[in-house]
Amino acid sequence: MSSSEELNLSVPGSQSSPSIRADWKAGVVVMSGESYPENSFELYDQLIQWIDSYLNSAEHSLTLELHLNYLNTSSIRFMIDIFDLLQSAFESGKEVLVQWMFDDRNPRSAELGAEFKEDYTFPFLILSINA
Amino acid sequence: MTISTTSLISLREFFSNHQILICFNGPISTTVIGEIGSALKEHIESNHAPELEVMDVFSVYIEMSQNIKNYATSHGLSDSESSATVVIAAAEAGHYAVCAGNLVEMGDGQALLERIHDLADCDKAQLKQLYKKQLRQPHAQTPGQGAGLGLIEIARRSSQPMEASLDPLEHGRAFFSLRAII
Repeated sequence: MSSSEELNLSVPGSQSSPSIRADWKAGVVVMSGESYPENSFELYDQLIQWIDSYLNSAEHSLTLELHLNYLNTSSIRFMIDIFDLLQSAFESGKEVLVQWMFDDRNPRSAELGAEFKEDYTFPFLILSINA
Repeated sequence: MTISTTSLISLREFFSNHQILICFNGPISTTVIGEIGSALKEHIESNHAPELEVMDVFSVYIEMSQNIKNYATSHGLSDSESSATVVIAAAEAGHYAVCAGNLVEMGDGQALLERIHDLADCDKAQLKQLYKKQLRQPHAQTPGQGAGLGLIEIARRSSQPMEASLDPLEHGRAFFSLRAII
């Protein structure tokens, strides 16, 4: 058995890629920054694998806290894969939640969150950080 | 022909006459894309008209330059062949023009022109529908790591239809140019 800390995922952010912090014990994934990396597969694949194994083996709920100001289209494509995993977990009775945080100065981020939300039925909150 | 100081002043005049804010011509790398992107964002944030969304201009610029980078990578093009021309200029009434051009195979260029022509006939609602449909395509079928999605994204952020042209070059290649007004 590995300790819960070993199950955590932590990826530092850069100008073109968001920081990622996935905490197994807390059941929380936090992403923060802008996402237009050269290789979006490299960045997102590890996160998708983490979420997939979490949803398949952890007992408790999963919350995604997303502070994403901008995503290029290939990052958006990978976010769809993540939300699809959450949707099927939700349909089999798992508690999942997305909190999409946006800055009022960047209305496009709120619109992007709303476009994601309209394709899913699991709880998806779009919240202003200025409120 | 070696560049002279007088050609520099005429280049400068050309830039001023076309209200060019940022221009790049050369081998495109991830670092170059990122640095120009930051400069662009800073510039627009301090100068933009209130109704303009800074992120729209940034997004169009990123999709265009990453499409070129992906094309060069997937076709195994050399540094000189993967050279791109990227221009960001002020346009009428507080708008911005984002233009980018690169070397393509003639057939690829013709397919792009056709695709852009089709997108020009779509209204915003149809573009959103196309975008959602493309997002649902499996990864393997997404050509050039998302070029299809990139063009739809550019069309959605643009205030008028994209303009594109293809100039034939030797060896069955062509220079493809694309302009979007945001």
